[in-house]
Amino acid sequence: MTARRYVDVFEAYNRFIDGEHISESDWDYTIIPNNASLMKKRYDIKFGSNILPEDQDLVDRLFVAGIDMLITTGIYNINTGTRMKISEDEIYEGLKMAPKTLRLGEGKDMVECFQRRGNSINKPIIEGGPTGAPVSEDIYATVIESYAQEPVVDTIVSGVLESVKGHHSVKNTPWEVRATLGELNYVHNALYEAGRPGMAI
Amino acid sequence: MKHSDLHECSQLNEMKVDMAMMNVISAWHLAGNNILVEQMPIIGGYCGGVEETAICDIATTIASFALLNADIHLGGPIHVRWGTTTNRQSLQVAAHTAMALDTNTDLLLGNQYYAMAGPCTVMNLLETAAQAICDTASGRELLSGVASAKGVVKNKVSAMEARMMGEASMAACGMDISDANNIIDRILGEYEVNYYNPPKGKTFQECYDLDNIQPTDEYLDVYENALSKLSDCGIDF
Repeated sequence: MTARRYVDVFEAYNRFIDGEHISESDWDYTIIPNNASLMKKRYDIKFGSNILPEDQDLVDRLFVAGIDMLITTGIYNINTGTRMKISEDEIYEGLKMAPKTLRLGEGKDMVECFQRRGNSINKPIIEGGPTGAPVSEDIYATVIESYAQEPVVDTIVSGVLESVKGHHSVKNTPWEVRATLGELNYVHNALYEAGRPGMAI
Repeated sequence: MKHSDLHECSQLNEMKVDMAMMNVISAWHLAGNNILVEQMPIIGGYCGGVEETAICDIATTIASFALLNADIHLGGPIHVRWGTTTNRQSLQVAAHTAMALDTNTDLLLGNQYYAMAGPCTVMNLLETAAQAICDTASGRELLSGVASAKGVVKNKVSAMEARMMGEASMAACGMDISDANNIIDRILGEYEVNYYNPPKGKTFQECYDLDNIQPTDEYLDVYENALSKLSDCGIDF
């Protein structure tokens, strides 16, 4: 059925509010494994020994299996305890909204992330950093600067500031907020010190 | 943060969200910020094996764009036993997922790096190179890393791992898929044997001179050693 419009985060919330109630354990232990197994059988998905697939028909069947998985299963919201559904036409309307190019950063440090289309000769964006690993406060800015000064690095992914002012950044506390702002402060200073202040983070 | 930074939030395992992430997305979306939605499916978890995990990974990735206003999706299939993204099964799921999406959509796809070995070890650099070749050859647009020592040990990270990620990726650009498969298989063979006793590596303070922010001579030697092993596996850079 033709979609009225794409589904944004606000419409997704409305659908969760009106959605079917399901227990999280049913979702995790029954619905997800059963549907994934069903899609594997329905589309005859078998990988073999190759890391990278060399059979385009398998690749295309896998894509359709993933789309079918989303249509059949929907998405679960752990706070509302409900699932929302989305139609195939709505999915493709949503995909049309996705950008084909993304500008990351500002000024001379800006880089463009664009569709490579297979293994093109254009290199991917290299996002260097601790990737969520814990880093202590006394060396945080130095660690980030070490990434920012690497010529091959285009953007920065930060680590977790292990503590701030001697306090652990416990979730859902003021110290978590302070640690987040502290992280940003250290990263910005590090980018400035590396001479790449416009780098995206 | 700038509009042009990547505003990141995460879906939950598997095919789940919460109100916290939906709330921040609503603000970022209305403000016109770049939005990155992340999710690391677990191989051997709720989904099942490699094929089932890849099916869920594709559904999750599509959901990021189709109902969560993402501009780019960051994956990272992780193995329930090994806790890394550099193992054989994780690379296989990541590659199949990326190629299925890359050849059927225009979506921007990234992957993140969780290596088993710690910094300043040949194993860590080989793990990183194998995944970089895999992600690049399968058409991904962004590589994010590296969380060494599985990303759980304080200060076990350094920029030399990111250098390897970038240089291996550039060396793999344009490479034939069959050639990439052969090279990745050889590199995997070099480090899979160490899974039960991986080298712990060194902290950032031990890898770098903190005064001038330069890697130590020891790390440069390790890096050269890794390049030599990668050359033996069929890739030079």
